[in-house]
Amino acid sequence: MSNPQKKRNFQIEAFKHKVVVDPKYADKTWKILEHAIHEIYNHNASGLSFEELYRNAYNMVLHKFGEKLYSGLVTTMTAHLKEISKSIEDAQGGLFLEELNRKWNDHNKALQMIRDILMYMDRTFIQSTRKTPVHELGLILWRDNVIYSSKIRGRLLDTLLELVLRERTGEVINRGLMRNIIKMLMDLGSSVYQEEFEQPFLEVSAEFYKGESQKFIECCDCGEYLKKAERRLNEEMERVTQYLDAKSEAKITNVVEKEMIANHMLALVHMENSGLVNMLLDDKYEDLGRMYNLFRRVTNGLSTVRDVMTSHIRDIGKQLVTDPERLKDPVEFVQRLLDEKDKYDKIISSAFNNDKTFQNALNSSFEYFINLNARSPEFISLFVDDKLRKGLKGVSEEDVEVILDKVMMLFRYLQEKDVFEKYYKQHLAKRLLSGKTVSDDAERSLIVKLKTECGYQFTSKLEGMFTDMKTSQDTMQGFYTSHPELGEGPTLTVQVLTTGSWPTQPSVTCNLPAEMSALCEKFRSYYLGTHTGRRLSWQTNMGTADIKATFGKGQKHELNVSTYQMCVLMLFNNSDRLSYKEIEQATEIPASDLKRCLQSLACVKGKNVLRKEPMSKDIGEDDAFFVNDKFASKFYKVKIGTVVAQKESEPEKQETRQRVEEDRKPQIEAAIVRIMKSRRVLDHNNIITEVTKQLQSRFLANPTEIKKRIESLIERDFLERDNVDRKLYRYLA
Amino acid sequence: MKKEGIVKLISAEGFEFVIDKKAAMVSQTIRNMLTSPGSFAETELGEVTFPEISTTILEKICKYFYWSMQYASGKETEFHIEPELTLELMMAANYLHT
Repeated sequence: MSNPQKKRNFQIEAFKHKVVVDPKYADKTWKILEHAIHEIYNHNASGLSFEELYRNAYNMVLHKFGEKLYSGLVTTMTAHLKEISKSIEDAQGGLFLEELNRKWNDHNKALQMIRDILMYMDRTFIQSTRKTPVHELGLILWRDNVIYSSKIRGRLLDTLLELVLRERTGEVINRGLMRNIIKMLMDLGSSVYQEEFEQPFLEVSAEFYKGESQKFIECCDCGEYLKKAERRLNEEMERVTQYLDAKSEAKITNVVEKEMIANHMLALVHMENSGLVNMLLDDKYEDLGRMYNLFRRVTNGLSTVRDVMTSHIRDIGKQLVTDPERLKDPVEFVQRLLDEKDKYDKIISSAFNNDKTFQNALNSSFEYFINLNARSPEFISLFVDDKLRKGLKGVSEEDVEVILDKVMMLFRYLQEKDVFEKYYKQHLAKRLLSGKTVSDDAERSLIVKLKTECGYQFTSKLEGMFTDMKTSQDTMQGFYTSHPELGEGPTLTVQVLTTGSWPTQPSVTCNLPAEMSALCEKFRSYYLGTHTGRRLSWQTNMGTADIKATFGKGQKHELNVSTYQMCVLMLFNNSDRLSYKEIEQATEIPASDLKRCLQSLACVKGKNVLRKEPMSKDIGEDDAFFVNDKFASKFYKVKIGTVVAQKESEPEKQETRQRVEEDRKPQIEAAIVRIMKSRRVLDHNNIITEVTKQLQSRFLANPTEIKKRIESLIERDFLERDNVDRKLYRYLA
Repeated sequence: MKKEGIVKLISAEGFEFVIDKKAAMVSQTIRNMLTSPGSFAETELGEVTFPEISTTILEKICKYFYWSMQYASGKETEFHIEPELTLELMMAANYLHT
């Protein structure tokens, strides 16, 4: 496209801009711009043409007068700002902030306009010379001339802090204004904000809250103090959202937390009559929840609360388990334990947000004091016994589950679970044999729970007992179907107990009355006919009997008595008067049992079917017994002397404990052998640790006992001591 | 009489080019001009005078504005520049920050 015109244009264009530049042009242009800036600051911009100014700035920069433009800008702006700062200084009292705010807004607007005009300079000149861009420049100049000006700086800070203080003491202040001023500081740079405002703000706040917390601590109780602290905290957070920089939130809340909570933590928790302990005792859920929320923010806050709670629970628990009054009624005792646990569970769930650490603290405390009392396993078993006999009567299925679960929970705290097993077996046996259990399902459900908790071994014998009962029922059915002629005589119900499963009792037989012994023999032959190779022995101390009696005036009653009592009473069918010695001879019942049995028949008011001479409480060797013709009772059926599970007497307790200890020995030995077999060689301390760990689920092993067992195993050549190191043991295959 | 969404660009010779505001905003300079907080004359009247830009160039620039918007919305056509306009066009572009 060879166009002569084009060529001409090119040539001329090339020189045009270079030549026509004289310094005056620069000054002239600058003057225009300077004037414009003045006008802008005086809010007179409407008369100006953007394009013209832009073009002028453009030209200046293009002609390499950028430096002049820039410095001119700096000077002009500075001059204006000085004027502005003066006018702000002159502002009276309350109007100070408003004036500042207004001038700031003006400045911003002007700055933007100037920046727009000088856009080209920003783009090119400043890039190449690395000077501060216009906008930033404006901010810096503002900062240096206005904020840092000696008269304004201090006054600004004081005013702001005073306003905050006023708001804290309840006055309403102009939040919008505050917000704008703070925003201004933030726009000027976060360091400006921090130095000019945030730092002193935090310091002053710390002072303020220190004083306030001191005042409150002295006059309020714990709950009130916490309420106030919470309120202040919320206030400060609101303040931040309303007119402070969001980054200040963490800092100011820290200050409040430190002053109001951390510094007074211990004082609050241990405060007389209203501290943590009182709150726990009085179930003050709201206060506790508040304390939890507030203390959570402070380091060590929660651990302090937790520690106090733990020691408190341990104290209460210790009191509970060592109080002799309470120990008289085991059912009450366990119920109290359950109540306490419920109470604290509720506190933790409603006030402490179900915090796991608190739950753990609670568990460890309970474990601690429950095991302080050696009779806890027995009592828990008694509690269950009571519930299964009558306590759960009429209770719905879910409630039964709930109660049993709670019992399981207490069971878990026990260290000596094998003691519990022993007692439970005894009580269960009594329950089953006297037919006194309220709900079969409940029994089985509890067995299942124990199995889940402790494994099959724990419950195998218990389940054996249930099986025996069921089998016996079937056996009885079989017996009567095969002997239809017995339908007329006395009815016999036999429970056949497998010796291994049931708690061992020393069995002593007595002489049964003739009618009964014939029947028993028939049963024995029937049973042994179907099960050869077994041996049956009658446990006469555990049975019951229902007999019909006619008394002097013809009144008939049905008496429910123990087997021993039945033997005694049947003797009176043949004679009116019997002496103690005669009874003893005829029945062959052991002396202590006989005495107890006669006591319940003759000496108990309302149940004295026998009359004793002399009328004393104790049974003497020379006493004589008669049928009490004057016996009267409201009921047709009279129950005399059932075998109830009771709290053991001292000698019984010792005996049980001894048996438990005996049972533990083989268990320890088995554990030692198991460990040594796999490890081959192990030193003394390690053995102790391993054995204890293995047996943990059943009981707490005693190191001395373990040592004894090791000795015993060495004697029996299961282990040997190392020749060199006396503490090392080796397994002998 | 400022209609909404319309600006008038006036060349050195006094020719008036009426284009959409949106098109004009392609130029950073014009955009700043029109959105500046200060009440400059331009924003009041809705018209901008360019005493140093000739009509032909200004016309080309307006065409460029529209072409640029087209290009951005997907239509990739060519923008042809006559060689003799190139230098002046570049200078104007520099001025207008386009």
